[in-house]
Amino acid sequence: MDTTVYLPADQPAPAPGGAARAVRARSLTKTYGKGEAIVRALDGVDVDFEEGRFTAIMGPSGSGKSTLMHLLAGLDSATSGQAFLGTTEITGLNDKALTRLRRDRVGFVFQQFNLLPMFTAEQNITLPVELAGGAVDRAWFDTLVETLGLAGRLTHRPGELSGGQQQRVAIARALIAQPDVVFADEPTGNLDSRSGAEVLSFLRRSVRELGRTIIMVTHDPSAAAYADRAVLIADGRIAGDISDPTPESAMAGLDALRTLEPDVATRPAGTTAPGTGA
Amino acid sequence: MATSFPTARLTLGQMRRSVGRLTAAGVAIVISTAFVTVTLLAGGVIQGTTHDMVAAQYARADLVVSATDQEQGSFGADDVSAVAAVDGVDTVQPLVSWMGDLRNGGKGGYLAFAPVPEDSRLSPLELTDGAWPAADDEVALTPQVAERLEVGVGDTVTLARTLYPDGWADSQESVDPAADPAAELGEPEEVTETLTVTGLADDPYGAYATYGGAAAVPAATLDAWNAAEPYPNPVSELLVALDVPPAGDSVPAPLSEAIQAAADGVAGGTSVATTEEVATAKTAEQTGGQDLVFFVFVMTFAAIALLIAAMVITNTFQVLVAQRIRTLALLRCIGAGTGQLYRSVLLEAAILGAVASAVGIVTGAVLAQAALLVAPAFDLGVPIPTTITPTWQSVVLPLAVGAGVTVLAALAPARSATRVAPLAALRPSDAPTLHARSGRARLVISLLCVVGGFTALGGGVALGMSGGTQFGLVAAVGGGALAFFGVVLSAVLWLPRFAAALGALVARTGPAARLAVANTLRNPRRTAATSTALLIGVTLVTMMSTGAASARMSADSLLDETFPYDVSVSTSSPDYVEDVRDAVADTPGVAATALVTNAIVTLGDMEDAGIIAADPQDLAAMVNVSDEAERLTDGSILLSQDEADQMSLSEGDRTTVSGTDGSVDLAVVITTADPLNHTITAADLSRITDDDTWTDVWAHISGADATTVLADVQDAAAQVDGEAFVMGPAAQAAQFRQVVDVILGIVVGLLAVAVVIALIGVTNTLSLSVIERTRESATLRAIGLSKEQLRGMLAVEGVLIAGVGAILGIVLGLVFGWAGAATALSVMGDVRYAVPWTDLTAVLAVALVAGLIASVVPARAAVRTHPVAALAAE
Repeated sequence: MDTTVYLPADQPAPAPGGAARAVRARSLTKTYGKGEAIVRALDGVDVDFEEGRFTAIMGPSGSGKSTLMHLLAGLDSATSGQAFLGTTEITGLNDKALTRLRRDRVGFVFQQFNLLPMFTAEQNITLPVELAGGAVDRAWFDTLVETLGLAGRLTHRPGELSGGQQQRVAIARALIAQPDVVFADEPTGNLDSRSGAEVLSFLRRSVRELGRTIIMVTHDPSAAAYADRAVLIADGRIAGDISDPTPESAMAGLDALRTLEPDVATRPAGTTAPGTGA
Repeated sequence: MATSFPTARLTLGQMRRSVGRLTAAGVAIVISTAFVTVTLLAGGVIQGTTHDMVAAQYARADLVVSATDQEQGSFGADDVSAVAAVDGVDTVQPLVSWMGDLRNGGKGGYLAFAPVPEDSRLSPLELTDGAWPAADDEVALTPQVAERLEVGVGDTVTLARTLYPDGWADSQESVDPAADPAAELGEPEEVTETLTVTGLADDPYGAYATYGGAAAVPAATLDAWNAAEPYPNPVSELLVALDVPPAGDSVPAPLSEAIQAAADGVAGGTSVATTEEVATAKTAEQTGGQDLVFFVFVMTFAAIALLIAAMVITNTFQVLVAQRIRTLALLRCIGAGTGQLYRSVLLEAAILGAVASAVGIVTGAVLAQAALLVAPAFDLGVPIPTTITPTWQSVVLPLAVGAGVTVLAALAPARSATRVAPLAALRPSDAPTLHARSGRARLVISLLCVVGGFTALGGGVALGMSGGTQFGLVAAVGGGALAFFGVVLSAVLWLPRFAAALGALVARTGPAARLAVANTLRNPRRTAATSTALLIGVTLVTMMSTGAASARMSADSLLDETFPYDVSVSTSSPDYVEDVRDAVADTPGVAATALVTNAIVTLGDMEDAGIIAADPQDLAAMVNVSDEAERLTDGSILLSQDEADQMSLSEGDRTTVSGTDGSVDLAVVITTADPLNHTITAADLSRITDDDTWTDVWAHISGADATTVLADVQDAAAQVDGEAFVMGPAAQAAQFRQVVDVILGIVVGLLAVAVVIALIGVTNTLSLSVIERTRESATLRAIGLSKEQLRGMLAVEGVLIAGVGAILGIVLGLVFGWAGAATALSVMGDVRYAVPWTDLTAVLAVALVAGLIASVVPARAAVRTHPVAALAAE
């Protein structure tokens, strides 16, 4: 049976298995607006993500899961706190350094696929390497194409590919530069369930067979079940951590958050979340 | 009205949100309507100036009595005194016009002469210094003339006149070709009279401005000089001052009848009118003629500017519709009809057009007024008004044209607005691009235009080259315009391919460039429209500049072929030719001189052959064709190939040249320099004849303004005793070049407006791309595109769009320019096809730099796009 542990929000979530940390957040806070109208999208989050693992960040809409990912990926700037990629503190890097970071060490998979319509699948996959001015590692490229089942589709443009195929191209694009971590934002949100399952399997294989690190944002418990670990987030705080989630355990975790919500919203900052099991 | 009220409110609301973009399109309209306004106001100024100049010659006369037949009818002395005797008439002044050659040494030339006024009311001239001339050896000058002749009151000037024997004019009517009036009646006689300048008379209203000023002599003297001409100028107008100025705008009938009765000696009868009536009628005559041509000429450029502005507006409204696609879809969802959306876009265009046109009219008026304020600083010699006179046309016309063009240009975007599906509001995707059909009809029509146009152009060129310049020009201009229309119409079909080919070269420079090229080709229609707007302007600029350069070069080579020298001075007697040569050689700017003797000899079996002889070294140092001149040695003669063929001689053959004192055997040297045909050395000439020769001084000008040097040479030659006649093809060439340059400058300046508007279009297109590709830009930023690369990408897009338009425009302009030169200039001789490299490089550089600059504003918007936008679901 899986173990679900709800932890105090002001303590870092430990990385199970003692693996090296690929990504860390320390007191990460993001607020919008000022004074009375202040919105705390992220409220002092501490969390670690291990290398070589597939982690899901789960939470209802507006929970702050996307904001967390943006900050961890260096796409958005934090109001306070720190985010680390390996040993690099990315909070405080300037745009130039962040661009370099995104080129070499971070990959992205988007809900809308976001492929460039005028380029073929192959050109889309190799684009990040070209933008960085590097040479494509053909062996790695072939491995990716093989693993993702894209061999027959390389000369097609995005318009000629199905949603699932487009997302697989996007995964290959995210992995081509062998980044330290890949962030996937609701990668199945625009796909039917069969294609979604396929894409999630590919993400898992990328971690298991190719040794990549993937952090996926989702609100879907069945998607989270493909991950090695699910971090639950609600109202801008870490609200739980599930290792080896199943659709049921993930759903239960989410349900628990929902029932907590009114309570959480009125709770004064700094107090701990109720530590009841699922 | 039930449906229009919400539409209007909606339109205003949307306009408020798009102020920036509307301003960009508005600038295009402002520039073109300002252009139209300035043209209309300038037309008014020209008309006013013409009227003032026409009226000026009548001074403050109350009436003008005109001969109905301006050619034959002439007022005699009897008529003048009879009119003067009419009851109520105070003074009468016949309007005598006569031109004479008035000089001070080398300075001066033909000049208009005016009579000393009987009454200050009857002359535009006002004495400002000294006294009016009273004797026939006295003269008063306008200040410009005095300045040009470098004389003041008390100095003397010379008047050269030709006295023809009695009956000369009749003898010229003779149809008998053998008739020799000079033998029967005696040779016409050149006389020079010395006149003393007694005073300076100003011409404040510019009555003589077009003549460059005037000289006044007593009326009797002027009459005598005019009467001595074989064909005296008729006195077709009398200026009349009345005892009491007439009340009202017209002449009282009794007075008019009395004057007409008095002037009964005028063939064809007379008419009597007030000065204002005559001036108005004459102005209408002039402004309906050459001034109308000028007006149409400038309006053509205004039309080009408007056309390009229309293309920019169309693109801008495409941007606006694309930008608002979600709003439009939402409106459709909540029940807005397609007609309401259509009207909303058109209403917006009408408001924008009207506001921008109003700004344009004010801008144009301010510019025109500024020009009038600045103009007096450049001594134009023409009194121009100090303020503009806005008419209702100069306000209503630009407003109607500006608003009308804007609405027309917005028709297509308004239609695309109606095609927005209500569903688009729900689609969480990028703003969809607006697709328009490019029809087969377009292909067929444009192909017909291109084929027909180029055929007519080719025919026109062929016609022009075979001598039919006028018909050739009509065919070439019509064909060229048709072909150009076809090219512009079909641009959307082929221009993207050209851009792709050019882009393939650019794409090698890096991933950002490759992205830019791919982006440029994503919306071929828009790229084509933007490039085409620039192409039109660049084609026309290149065409004008190529045509002008070809004209210049053709004229230069024609002059070089005809005249081997820059300046030639002929003297009336060989006695002082050496003095003249020294004087010319000492003139600054003269690099070399040579004495060239003309003689009539027998050459081979050709009697009375004209030859020229010179010292070979002097000649070689002086002529433009030194290489050829150097081949002349003692014992040889230079012959052109044609001449040698005619005489059946070839290089090295010998031919005999004989004169009164003997003959020499000379070796034939074939020269390619036609002007050196029949040239021998001075030494050889001295062995055969001393009679029937006359010697000229030829000079070569170097490194100085030919016109100035020519004037200095004239002065220098005039200092030497005896008469000298100076001829300066170099100065002619320089003047021609100047005229060509001025015309080119004006035309290119007018076209520059169109190019500026087209460049605004490039900015708009790039902005549209940035808006449409917000998500994509964000994705690229997320996967590692740096801000610099994003800026670079847009810069390459801008440069590519502008570059394609510029390069194609240059190619087309060269073709049209050469075709025009071939058609128009063939009458002058061999046409040279010049490539104005400097101009072309400048045009290309301006286009590329402007393309780069055009990308700056859109790029700023693009880099502001946060990568997070790529992840956002909405």
